[in-house]
Amino acid sequence: MIELLAQTGLNSLYAAAYLSLVAVGLVLIFGVMGVINFAHGELFMLGAYVVVALYSGFGVPYILVAAIGLIFVGCIGILMEFTIFRPLRDSPLGGLVASIGFLLIAQALVSMGFGVRMEHVPPVTQEVIVFSEKVRLPLQRLFVILAAVMFLSLLWIFLRRTRFGWALRASAQDAEAAALQGISIRQTSLIAMFVGAGLAGIAGVLTAPLISVGPHMGHAVIVAAFIVIIVGGIGSLEGAIVASVAYAFIHTIVTTFWDGVIADITGLSLMLLVLIVRPTGLFGTTDRA
Amino acid sequence: MLLELRRIEVNFGKVAALRGVSMAVSASSIVTIIGANGAGKSTTLRAISGLAPLNGGEILFRGERIDGLFPNKVASKGIAHVPEGRRVFPEMSVEENLRTGAFLRQGSRDIEKDLRSVFEMFPRLEERRNRNAKTLSGGEQQMLAIGRARMSKPALLLMDEPSMGLAPVVVDEIALTIKRIASGGVPVVLVEQNAELALNLADYAYVLENGTVSLEGEAGRLHDDDHVKAAYLGV
Ligand SMILES: Nc1ncnc2c1ncn2[C@@H]1O[C@H](COP(=O)(O)OP(=O)(O)OP(=O)(O)O)[C@@H](O)[C@H]1O
Ligand SMILES: [Mg+2]
Repeated sequence: MIELLAQTGLNSLYAAAYLSLVAVGLVLIFGVMGVINFAHGELFMLGAYVVVALYSGFGVPYILVAAIGLIFVGCIGILMEFTIFRPLRDSPLGGLVASIGFLLIAQALVSMGFGVRMEHVPPVTQEVIVFSEKVRLPLQRLFVILAAVMFLSLLWIFLRRTRFGWALRASAQDAEAAALQGISIRQTSLIAMFVGAGLAGIAGVLTAPLISVGPHMGHAVIVAAFIVIIVGGIGSLEGAIVASVAYAFIHTIVTTFWDGVIADITGLSLMLLVLIVRPTGLFGTTDRA
Repeated sequence: MLLELRRIEVNFGKVAALRGVSMAVSASSIVTIIGANGAGKSTTLRAISGLAPLNGGEILFRGERIDGLFPNKVASKGIAHVPEGRRVFPEMSVEENLRTGAFLRQGSRDIEKDLRSVFEMFPRLEERRNRNAKTLSGGEQQMLAIGRARMSKPALLLMDEPSMGLAPVVVDEIALTIKRIASGGVPVVLVEQNAELALNLADYAYVLENGTVSLEGEAGRLHDDDHVKAAYLGV
């Protein structure tokens, strides 16, 4: 029993790692731009397909693929800002609807390019850390956990310690007041889109060797990410991380002991419960970010 | 003239908030704009900062057109705006708020020096430098908003109702600060509902009524004006 719990804990940690990367990017974009990016799951998917194309396809070293994936998907974020969010700046609903359009286009393009079948990425490493007979951690999963901790720490340092990090938080908290300090909202929007999309992309890159990659894989992730940012309190990065960990643990435990559908239902029910008890979410205030 | 508004107009849909307002601010002076609720005082400041786009007229700063610029570009010309309601960044610390005020400046040594001088001006901010701005009292938030504006080393300071909602002692402290800023060589455009305070501080005053300047002149002279007395000073 203890061993089963320990194994479940390790599995949860892995799920929390990539989920929090996705959710934090979503929160960052919402904070600065004021739009819910429905295509965020597709950014995760595009990250995974960078691995399919370059690593499975051409045998480019994985670490290089990770860097390319981060930058490529980050640039897709910048493209989204220029083509949909900036022209629709004063219409949050417009941005949301356009991002759904972007989601469909991304899925269609990937289906045309790669086909709709599930891709299996060859493992980067087969090594497994064996704690005991029943408690094992594949090195690739450890890699995901460590990378998530690293990227989230870098993000924290960027937001708390640098001039542009302050600018990003300032424009999330009060865009007009930020502009009065000389901060260009166009510039902070571009940074938020690059960073937010890049984090989703790197999450896709990291998990691609561990899951089946397909054009619709973004769906499950975005649903979980939405639950997590609502529970965490929309606009709160800390809330998103804490809620990711909590969600991953609960979801993994329920999946292990019952099944995945019940786990999904449990997740949604807990979200409703939190909303009833605390409508602003766990870490939410009435203000954003 | 440092700043000149030439017959500026601002509409919100069908509502005309400013209908041809002209003003001038010279270097080293305090100019005040007084007027009733909804007269257009805030809109005037927001037009200068680029937050409210003009429907007519022009704005010149140091002889150069600044209307039509984005607010961040106006800020980069040296105009700082302490907005109505303070608008400090609630989830950022006092120090982060102040450093954000210096966003456009390079050269860390100068910024540290100015940070120290803001803390000297408002010792209470230094005591609370690591606290989030939302935990401050109204008076402290006003000091923070003024300090944040100072951190940009402005050539002109716009202030929108700095006395609003503050206890009389705090109002006195803010008034003293405004005087010190102006005598330090930074001209101030002060929007106030508290006409008594504003006319005592200012050198020159404009009275706004329904989006037009109904009266202007030396602040001392307006203080003795019968219409101003009856309408704004409550005597
Ligand atoms: N964003 C806006 N949308 C629509 N109407 C506006 C907007 N901002 C101001 N107005 C209108 O413009 C007019 C001038 O408003 P403004 O805020 O400049 O007044 P004010 O003199 O600053 O008043 P107060 O003393 O209440 O701050 C008012 O009639 C107001 O209702
Ligand atoms: Mg006003």
